[in-house]
Amino acid sequence: MTWIDFVNLLINGLIEGLVVALPALAMTLVMGVNRFPNAATGDMLTTGAYAAVAVQLLGGWPLWAAALISMVVTALVSAGSYTLIFRKLAGRPMVSSMLAAIGLGFLLRSLIGFFAGHDQRTFDLPLVRAWNFGGIRILPTDLAIAAVAAVSLAVVFVLIYRTSFGRQLRAVADSADLARASGIRANGLMLSLWLLVGALSSLGGVLLGMKAVVSPEMGWESLIPAFAAMVLGGIGSPVGAVLGALLLCVAQELAVPLMGPSYKLVLSFVVLALVLLVRPAGIMGRVQLVR
Amino acid sequence: MIAYLCAIGIIALIYCLLALGLNLQFGLTRLVNFGVVAFFAVGAYTSGLLSLQGVPLVLCFVAAGVVSGLLALPIGLLSLRLRDDYLAIVTLGFSEAVRISIQQESWLTKGVQGLPGLPKAFASWGGGASDMAMFATLLVVVAVVAWGTVRLAASPFGRLLKAIGDDEPALAALGKDPAWFKVQVFMLGAALAGVAGAFYAHFITFITPEQFIPLITFYVWMGLVMGGSGTVRGAVFGSLLLMVFLEGSRFAKDWVPGVSEVGMASLRLAAVGLALILVTLYKPNGLFGGKSQ
Repeated sequence: MTWIDFVNLLINGLIEGLVVALPALAMTLVMGVNRFPNAATGDMLTTGAYAAVAVQLLGGWPLWAAALISMVVTALVSAGSYTLIFRKLAGRPMVSSMLAAIGLGFLLRSLIGFFAGHDQRTFDLPLVRAWNFGGIRILPTDLAIAAVAAVSLAVVFVLIYRTSFGRQLRAVADSADLARASGIRANGLMLSLWLLVGALSSLGGVLLGMKAVVSPEMGWESLIPAFAAMVLGGIGSPVGAVLGALLLCVAQELAVPLMGPSYKLVLSFVVLALVLLVRPAGIMGRVQLVR
Repeated sequence: MIAYLCAIGIIALIYCLLALGLNLQFGLTRLVNFGVVAFFAVGAYTSGLLSLQGVPLVLCFVAAGVVSGLLALPIGLLSLRLRDDYLAIVTLGFSEAVRISIQQESWLTKGVQGLPGLPKAFASWGGGASDMAMFATLLVVVAVVAWGTVRLAASPFGRLLKAIGDDEPALAALGKDPAWFKVQVFMLGAALAGVAGAFYAHFITFITPEQFIPLITFYVWMGLVMGGSGTVRGAVFGSLLLMVFLEGSRFAKDWVPGVSEVGMASLRLAAVGLALILVTLYKPNGLFGGKSQ
C-alpha cells in the first residue's frame, strides 16, 4: 500500500465517520436521557432514507428538499415511538425497552420491505467525476456529504450546549429527579429530544444512501458500528460519539486492505468488546454509566 | 399430515431447547443474551462439519455442545464487567460477527453455498421413522433439560443464580462471588443452544449462513417472554406458542391473497416486531409466568 492509497482510505474513513456520527449521536442522546440503547436507531435511518426516496420518486423533487421532508417524517415516527412505546416502559427493566426497540426496528424494516420491495435503490443525483490530485481522489458528492454531516453535527452541538433546551436536557440526563424538582417539564422536553433524534437519524440515512445504496437492511447494518462508536467515545458524551465514529471508521477503512470489506462489522464488534474490556468509560465518558 | 406434524414438532422442540438455554441465562440469572443464534449456528456447523468427516453423530452432538459452550467463555467473562444493556449489544454484535465469519471463511464452511447433504439422524430407519425417532429423542432431551432446570432452580446453586439476577450487590455484600457462576450459566445455556443447532443441522440436512440471522435470536426471546421468563413452564409453552405463531402465518398466506412469498416474509417479520412490542408493553411477565420478579 502506497501512501496515496493510505490517504484515500483515510479520507473515505473520515467521511464515513462523519455519517456514522449522526446515528451514534442520536443513540448517545437517548442513552444519556432515557437510559437504554435504542436498537431501533438503525431502522430509523432506513426510514429516513426511504422517505427521501419516496419523495423523490413521487414528487420528482431535488434531494435536499426530499431530505428535509424525510427529516420531518422520521422525526414524527421517532416521537410517536416514544409516546406510544418507550415512555410507557420508563422505569421498567432496561431489557424491556431494548426488546421493544428491536421489535420496533423489525416492524419498520418489514413495512419498508413490504411496500418498497427489497431491491436496492439510489437517489436521483447528477453523476460527477472525482477530482484527482495526483492519485488522491475526492468525489464532490462525498465532500457534500461530509459538509452536510459536519454542519448538522454543529447545529446539534449548539442546541445541546447553547440553548435552554440543551441545558434542560443535560439536567435531566444528570439527574431526572433533580431536574423535575427544579421545575423542568419532562414531557415536552422528551418529545423535542425524540423529534431531534429522529431528524438526525433520517439525515444519517439519506447521507448513507448517497454514499452507498438504499436498502431495507442498510440501517440495521449500521447499528453495531454506531453502537461501537458511541461506546468508544464514551456513553452519554455527544463529543465522544463523534470522535468515536471518526476513529472507528478510519480504523475500519485502514483495515480493509488487510481483511477485506466484509469484515468491517466484525472489526466494529472487536473494537466494541476491547473498549468495554480495557476502558469501559470510553474516551470521553464516566465509568459509572457503564457498570 | 403426520410427516408435517412431526416436522413442526421437531422444530418446536428445537426452539424449546433454545428457550430453555436462554431461560437459564436470562430467566434465572438475568444475563441478557441477544446472541442466541451464534451458539445455535456454531453448534450446527460444528456437528455438520464433523459428520461430513465421518465422525459418528453422537460424538458430533457432544462436540456441538462443547464447542458452543467454550465459545461462550470469553463472552461470559465479558458479561462480568458489563451492565445488561451493554451485554445485549455485545452479544448481538457477536452473533453477527459469527455469521459473517461463517459466510467469509469458505475454506471451512463453504461460505454462502452452505453445507448440503448432512447425514440425517436415524437415517437408516427410513424417512418417516427417522423423523419420529428424532422427535422422540428431542422430546427426551427437552424433558431432561426441563427437569434439570427445575431441579437446578430449586437447588442452593439455583437460588444463588436467582439471587444474582435479583440483587447482585447484596449477594456480593454477603461474601459470595457471583462471577464464576455467571460464566458457568452462560456456557451451559450456550451449550444447550449448540446441541439444538446439531439437531437442526441433522434434521434439515442443509445449513447456510442465511439461516442464522438475528431474527432467530428474537424468535427465541419472543417465545420466552411470551411464555414468561424465569419459569420452565414459560419457556416450554412460550416456544409452542411461537410455533403456532410461525406456522399460523404460513396458513394466513392462503387468506391474504395477492401477497408474494417475499411480501409474506416481510409481514411475518412485522408480526414478530409487533408481538415483541406488545408483549413487553402489556404482558411483561408472560402468559404463563409467575408474579412480577
